[in-house]
Amino acid sequence: MTHKILKLAHLCVVLMMVVGVGSTIYAQDGSTRVVTEDQVNNIAKILYCPVCENITLDTCGTAACADWRYEIRLQLESGSTEAQIIEDFVRRFGDRVVGTPLDPTLRALSLLTPWIIIAAALVGGALMLAKKKRTPAPEIAAASAASNRYQDLFEQDVANS
Amino acid sequence: MLAEIGLIACLFAFVASLYAILASVYGERFAHSEAMVLSGRNAVYLTFVLMTIATGGLQIALMTEQYQLTYVWSVSSPSMPTFFRATALWGSQAGSLLFWSYLITVFAAAATFLNWKSQRRLMPYAIAYMMAVAAFFIGLSLFIENPFERWWVLPSGEVVASAFIPAGAVAPAARQLAESANGLNPLLRHFGMAIHPPMLYLGFIGFVIPFAFAMSALASGDLSSNWIKVSRRWTLVAWLFLSLGLLLGGRWAYDVLGWGGYWGWDPVENAAFLPWLIGTAYLHSVMIQEKRGMLKTWNMFLVIGTFSTVIFATFATRSGLVDSVHSFARSGIGFPMFLFWFLLTIVSVWLILWRRSRGELKDEHRVSGIFSRESLFVLNNFVFVALFVAVFWGSFGAPIVSELFMNTNITLGADYFLRVTPPLFILMYILMGIAPVSAWGISAVGRLGVSLLIPLALTVLSLGLFVLGGMTDAGALLGYGIVLLSGWVVVYETFRGVQARRKARNESPLRALAALATRSPRRYGGYMVHLGIAVIGLGVIGSTLFQQETQRTLAVGQSLQIGGYEMRYDGLLANQVAEDGRLMDIAQIVLLRDGAEVAHLRPRRDFFPESSGMNSMTIAGAHSTLENDFYVLLVNWETVSANSATFKVYINPLINLIWWGSFILIAGTLLAGYPRETLPARVREKLQLAREGART
Repeated sequence: MTHKILKLAHLCVVLMMVVGVGSTIYAQDGSTRVVTEDQVNNIAKILYCPVCENITLDTCGTAACADWRYEIRLQLESGSTEAQIIEDFVRRFGDRVVGTPLDPTLRALSLLTPWIIIAAALVGGALMLAKKKRTPAPEIAAASAASNRYQDLFEQDVANS
Repeated sequence: MLAEIGLIACLFAFVASLYAILASVYGERFAHSEAMVLSGRNAVYLTFVLMTIATGGLQIALMTEQYQLTYVWSVSSPSMPTFFRATALWGSQAGSLLFWSYLITVFAAAATFLNWKSQRRLMPYAIAYMMAVAAFFIGLSLFIENPFERWWVLPSGEVVASAFIPAGAVAPAARQLAESANGLNPLLRHFGMAIHPPMLYLGFIGFVIPFAFAMSALASGDLSSNWIKVSRRWTLVAWLFLSLGLLLGGRWAYDVLGWGGYWGWDPVENAAFLPWLIGTAYLHSVMIQEKRGMLKTWNMFLVIGTFSTVIFATFATRSGLVDSVHSFARSGIGFPMFLFWFLLTIVSVWLILWRRSRGELKDEHRVSGIFSRESLFVLNNFVFVALFVAVFWGSFGAPIVSELFMNTNITLGADYFLRVTPPLFILMYILMGIAPVSAWGISAVGRLGVSLLIPLALTVLSLGLFVLGGMTDAGALLGYGIVLLSGWVVVYETFRGVQARRKARNESPLRALAALATRSPRRYGGYMVHLGIAVIGLGVIGSTLFQQETQRTLAVGQSLQIGGYEMRYDGLLANQVAEDGRLMDIAQIVLLRDGAEVAHLRPRRDFFPESSGMNSMTIAGAHSTLENDFYVLLVNWETVSANSATFKVYINPLINLIWWGSFILIAGTLLAGYPRETLPARVREKLQLAREGART
């Protein structure tokens, strides 16, 4: 009985080892996954250098940016997705490293505010036009028509002279 | 000696500009003295002469290597070529501010000279406003960013910068100064930088003239069409220079900044784009005031808003308000500039509202049908202002609000602008397609539809060719369709005009076209500008949506394939020394298509050993065709050796249409601003008939 238990335990250990080795092999496969420079740049072009002025990581020539690109490569090699890498950078350096903030409040503020201002201006403009339509025609138009008549007469005079 | 001359000229120019303001306003408004007004006018010319001396002094100091001047020391060095020594005048804050002030006096003197007789009533006030702006900027040069400061060695051995000689100080040894001179920022050592900043400055500063005339109309109460006539042409001049500045800036970025693009939605780029948007809105809406006597208040807001934006953009760029690769170093001019901008805007808006409350800015007609030309122009204005809001918010609004109220530092990048602005640009192109065929007053939908039939057919035909060429992207086809329609409309309208003339006068097509252009330069110049914008639009869509990009490390003899091209790396010429002392690593590239060599490219990395800070540049190698640009960079953060090098390659489809469209736009603007006869057409025709009758 003890022997059987030992055999079972042994089998379990072997199974665990197989599973463990298997997972190790799987992880090693992940870490040695080939990552191209284009894959790195695809993410680097979305991220802005945290210390430079408005330069994306894919074009920044500083040593710090070279390190961050290398970090993107490492994260890709370890199996992180594009979204995970971007979130990681935002968590560490803040929303200034992305073109549009990820934070929901800041994102809404950034993307919706111009449209709210534009819509308000549109409504204001439409109301003003509607109000103008309700009021009688401006007297100045008549004056203008009169001045046009004088202009016509003047032009005729010039032509006849 | 040059420093003393420059400083004294600058000081006298400051005094003369203040005198011009006082003499003009006091002479016109209170003393009613023609002699005093004339003396104010002459002070404008004197300011111009004095600023010519001051700016000339600094330029000569740069050319003759007077390194005791701190400005010369900081932007030039003995190894710099003469050409860049000349352009170093605007290479840094102090010099560019002086140059900026000088250009204001050039514009002020030109506007005074050209409009003195025709706008006598407005001129004293216009002079006051122009010279107030000039005095402010000359004051900045004089008191905060003085380009005539010199290095001095104090008795204690300390080296200080001062415009005046400190007690007991001596000048440092000339050789020592020359050896330690900084040299110009490498990014500015490009031919484009010789033209791009002056064009941008001329564009910015040019708007001071329409602003001054608008303000003078408000101040004097002469709200007839006089100020509109003057300001429209000056706005066109400023708009032309600003357009040129923006386009040249795009070209410079494409050639020098090494990221394969021409517009990065950087806050400083956007700061120059903002006055362009408002100025363009004004150029359209001013036509409504001229033709229909409408939008008087709105036009005032636009013209003043344009200049207010110019000042804000200058403040943002030069104060360090925003982080940008284009920004000048942070300096003490931020607060005075902000104050100036604030006061200028408040006073202008107050004047408009005051005149409006007195009923002096009443419209003469109402907007009639929704498809009338004036309605479409109002919509066009709305689109430009909406674009202004979106770009302003992204560049300045959101970063400032988030920092002030949310304690978070954000910078909105291309991602934001490419989400928010495309619908507005689409609307702009749609209006560009419809407005030219609409009529003033009332325009029937049916008639409008008929006018659009042939351009629409031509657009569908063009899109068919795109599809046959292999394009299947529905979004891109829609974009191309809208842009093409706006282009075909003006081409067809011009064709109709030519046909009508040929029918009536039996002229050749070229002669008829020339006659149309000379008789109605505004209309056909405007059409050309629209055509240029349409061509630019095609280039923007192609290069944005279909750009291809790859980065690869190649061994010598190895190739990569992209966009139908094969690029072979043939070797590296390392550490080549240029005439100006810069070191160059030059890659030798052979470009092949279908197995045949099409070009030899030499992308390179330049290194400036003498420069502090940013001291390297990446210069692309490019092969341009009608179809696309093959654009290759020697990646500057990877090591290069005789064995291997890393390249970043872009295929930029249709990008050359942007530059060609620019030429059309410039030509159109020149035509639109061409002076035409002032007599109405009917009178001119009668005079012509009278002349013909007299001959027979």
